[in-house]
Amino acid sequence: MTDTTTLAVAARAVGATKIYGAGDTEVRALDAIDVSFEQGRFTAIMGPSGSGKSTLMHCMAGLDTVTGGQVFIGDTDLSTLSERDLTLLRRDHVGFVFQAFNLVPTLNAIENITLPMDLAGADGDPAWIDEVVDTTGLGDRVKHRPNELSGGQQQRVAVARALAGKPQIIFADEPTGNVDSNTGAEILDFMGRAVTEMGQTIVMVTHDAAVAARADRVVFLVDGKIVDELADPTPEGIRDRMNRLGT
Amino acid sequence: MLRLILRNLVEKKIRFALTTLTVVMGVMFVVGAFVLTDSLRATFSELASDIASGTDLIVRTAQEVGGDFDRPPLPEDLVDPVARVDGVGQVLPAVAAVNVVIVDGDGEAIVPPGPPALGFNFRDSLFFLVEGRAPVGGGEFAADADTAARNNLRVGGTYAINGPIRAEDFELVGVFNFGSPDTNTSVGQTMAAFDLPTAQRFLGFEGEVLTIGVRVSPGADPAAVKADLEAALGDSYEVITQQIVAQEQEADFGDFINIFNWILLVFAFIAVFVSAFIINNTFQMVLDQRVREIGLWRAVGATPRQVGWSVIGESAVVGALATAVGIGCGMGLSVVLRVLLRAGGFGLPSGPLELRPRTVLLAVLVGLGVTVISSVGPALRARRISPIAALHHGYRIAPAGLRRRLITGGAVAAAGVAALIAGMFGGLGTAPTLALIGAGALATFIGINTVSPAFARPIARLLGRPMQAVFRVPGRIARENAARNPRRTASTAGALMIGLALVGLTAVVGESVETTFVRTLDNAVTADYFVRSTRQGFNPSAGFSEQVADDLEALDELDRVVRYRFAFGSVEVNGIPRDITAAEMAAVESHLDGDVVSGDLASADPPTSVALHVDPAADLQVGVGDTVEMTFPDNETATLTVAAVYADATIYGNWLIDLALWDEHFNRSDLAFASATIAGFSDDLDEAEQAVLLDRSRAAIDEALADYPTVKAENRVEFRQSQQAQLNSFLIVITLFLGLALVIALVGITNTLALSVFERTREIGLLRAVGMTRRQLRRSIRWEAAIVAVFGALLGVAVGVVFGVAATLALPDAFVNDVRIPWTTLAVYVAVSALAGLIAAIGPARRAGRMKVLDAIAYE
Ligand SMILES: Nc1ncnc2c1ncn2[C@@H]1O[C@H](COP(=O)(O)OP(=O)(O)O)[C@@H](O)[C@H]1O
Ligand SMILES: [Mg+2]
Repeated sequence: MTDTTTLAVAARAVGATKIYGAGDTEVRALDAIDVSFEQGRFTAIMGPSGSGKSTLMHCMAGLDTVTGGQVFIGDTDLSTLSERDLTLLRRDHVGFVFQAFNLVPTLNAIENITLPMDLAGADGDPAWIDEVVDTTGLGDRVKHRPNELSGGQQQRVAVARALAGKPQIIFADEPTGNVDSNTGAEILDFMGRAVTEMGQTIVMVTHDAAVAARADRVVFLVDGKIVDELADPTPEGIRDRMNRLGT
Repeated sequence: MLRLILRNLVEKKIRFALTTLTVVMGVMFVVGAFVLTDSLRATFSELASDIASGTDLIVRTAQEVGGDFDRPPLPEDLVDPVARVDGVGQVLPAVAAVNVVIVDGDGEAIVPPGPPALGFNFRDSLFFLVEGRAPVGGGEFAADADTAARNNLRVGGTYAINGPIRAEDFELVGVFNFGSPDTNTSVGQTMAAFDLPTAQRFLGFEGEVLTIGVRVSPGADPAAVKADLEAALGDSYEVITQQIVAQEQEADFGDFINIFNWILLVFAFIAVFVSAFIINNTFQMVLDQRVREIGLWRAVGATPRQVGWSVIGESAVVGALATAVGIGCGMGLSVVLRVLLRAGGFGLPSGPLELRPRTVLLAVLVGLGVTVISSVGPALRARRISPIAALHHGYRIAPAGLRRRLITGGAVAAAGVAALIAGMFGGLGTAPTLALIGAGALATFIGINTVSPAFARPIARLLGRPMQAVFRVPGRIARENAARNPRRTASTAGALMIGLALVGLTAVVGESVETTFVRTLDNAVTADYFVRSTRQGFNPSAGFSEQVADDLEALDELDRVVRYRFAFGSVEVNGIPRDITAAEMAAVESHLDGDVVSGDLASADPPTSVALHVDPAADLQVGVGDTVEMTFPDNETATLTVAAVYADATIYGNWLIDLALWDEHFNRSDLAFASATIAGFSDDLDEAEQAVLLDRSRAAIDEALADYPTVKAENRVEFRQSQQAQLNSFLIVITLFLGLALVIALVGITNTLALSVFERTREIGLLRAVGMTRRQLRRSIRWEAAIVAVFGALLGVAVGVVFGVAATLALPDAFVNDVRIPWTTLAVYVAVSALAGLIAAIGPARRAGRMKVLDAIAYE
């Protein structure tokens, strides 16, 4: 946590709590979480299934709301935003990559990539968009619809969409969970370059220690609480930590 | 299996409800039609027996042709001989006439929109006072309760009444219920009653009565009295029993009710037909959504047969439930219709609702039948789903190939068109003609609907282009979604296509008829003024008294007045009742030119001549100089010589006789119409001189007609305009009727869209996640609907224009001989459809907007 004082914070949670249900069936998916994600860094989130990783992503990205505590994107407290403002925030300042089904099937790849800014009626930064599209390595397939692309290509388009609008932060929930390991590596490379070469901020959930090791920092989540974290991780270090956490 | 089907339905409640809704609409109209008319029939039959119950026997002139109001009266002198017959307790002489119009306190003539304005003599047996007393002497009358209440007539007030002969002032002394002490038996007619001598004088029965009612003395046998009366009176008169009176009364009502029944059934037919499209489409969509589930069934061992039957089974459950709900809604509809009709001036009596077994059977046939038949296609397709579907996410049932679609669709449409042509030109009876036209239209629509998916995608893309330009991403998404599933788009649009085709057909035929009509009128009309009742049309009960013509003729400003009388089906030629027009043959051509093609009206011998239109002349194979046997309401048959044959039936109708001949055989002398020329007027005068004459004559006419609020005089231009307006309002009514199909089509659009939205839950979640606002989302769904609607509307207009032109060519030239296509009107229809599409999408768009982003993403 040496850099936190020198780097601006892209997003943070303060005592963030998410409770599903009530009474006997109450589930504490997030239990008073405090966490910050600094600008220009690549953070991995790990934890056993059901530990609240997705819930954290959703709440921080403005897709869902916390039941207690606060979530900030930049200086904006999400709990103060209306439904419409939340939508605009997602559109203009947040990128998101899901595990699957990331693309609108009726739009071609390039249209999917520029979708958020087209929705905003903004032109975006053409040079940047060209660059992002280039890095997908799709070539002339950018005019193809999602069902004509491979799973890996689809995920790269999804990442490109997240990058295209230069959001403050990108959340990715197991982006490689649905593709084979080679493709997964490609996608990861792509995201890694986005951080190192383009200065993006990415928070990514993953199960794979090798994948997590590509990040600058790993945060471990168990039962809705942050139980540990690791800076400049190595695969061995992560596995060691995971074993100690009993997963 | 049944358990599985039911579970499936319960789990997918919304889908189920939407499917059911369209079936319910079809069933509702069928049931509504029958319940309304059956209930009316039952109520009227009770009322008819009430009306008849006042007398045991009725003596009247025997009559073979003509309506009741054409029946020749009896001499008053007959009352005494009737009274002297053994067993006759009480004699009740009666007179009745149409065109007895009361003028209310504000000087407005009370003219019922459809039913007649009647005058009677007051009889205790039939008129039950609810207020005041019976009229006595020359200056008094009583009115029926509905007319009095609706027009604020007060007992003690004095009101002008326009009789068939003249107008007079009367004091209202009583208000009565007609036919029964408790309810006023009325279908909206107005009724004025006077004492007998006044009624005879005022209604034109000087020294005469229309019928003589008889009540037998206590203990006497009506049958024996009837026989005695018949023996005493001879062959020219007939004696009928209370039962026959009731039956005749009921039959009169029946005609009226049958019209409603037919109109509602046409409604129902269109509703069911359009619903069938929607149901079929819904099942197809539901199937698409269940492909994986069905694949799983197949994987765990369900046979294709079982899968097919499960689809049919589901439709049967939907059909059964919809039938039950539809029956309930139909009963509600009949109540609503009754209220609406009553508000429209048709005073329909209230009574219990009659749900006959026949109605239920029909409802089941329609509800269950249409649903199950509509699901056969989807069921067959379901059988082709392979077990792999369970594993494969994007699995789609292979749609029928484009070639096959074009071939089968084209063949079905061609067969339909052939049936239509056979129906229109085949010269078959009414029933087979209607059946052929109905089946032909059905097949044509199905054929077109089979072919239309082939071009749904390019057209939807084209139509969506401007939306994309205006609304950018939401427009783009709307456009792509409309083009995404051509079969679905085409079926959804199909329902709208049918509605628009019907409306478009009406518009084309209407415009063509109007053009023809206006041209004919311009060419034929030479008179300067047209005098007619303020009530529309040549309705035998919408005439006015001859005194009007006398008064106008007395004016110096007018030259000549030609009188026209008219009666529906009141003469018989070759055993078939015909409508008859009477006018002064020598003068009529100088006012209204009927385009005589052979013979000469001016030199005809008035009492022995007839003129007829070319169509009946051709049917009967008669020409000028031939003779025709015509039977009149007084039972006399005259041999008439054909004096002329004419080509334009707009004014003369099909059969024209002279007034002299009419007056020999009809007891009615009211005028349907009169025309007049201005004294000294000629086309050679300059405009200023013409204007002076027009103004002067107008002022004189207005003064002369001030006493007759039911009569109006129109000059040439006004006459043409009012005739046009009449035609237009008729077209509007038809268009509104057909608009029903549009309403159902809209339900179809809503339905499809709701299912599509449901199907696209994840996609919608994704769009929302990456920043589409609710507004943008709703907008994209609304415009998708607009594209589909416009696609359907364009198809429909195209079909409607083709059908309309064909129908115009098929109709007789005398009626329409000029094909006109009202492009502006059609464009408005398309625009209205687009708007309707937007409205239909409001619900589904809202639902989509309300979806929670995360739920949508997590939805499987
Ligand atoms: N919509 C929901 N309703 C109820 N419980 C939920 C819901 N979403 C998640 N949960 C629960 O919250 C906990 C955390 O879930 P999640 O964030 O999806 O975990 P992870 O992504 O780490 O596997 C789990 O116990 C899960 O069952
Ligand atoms: Mg998760």
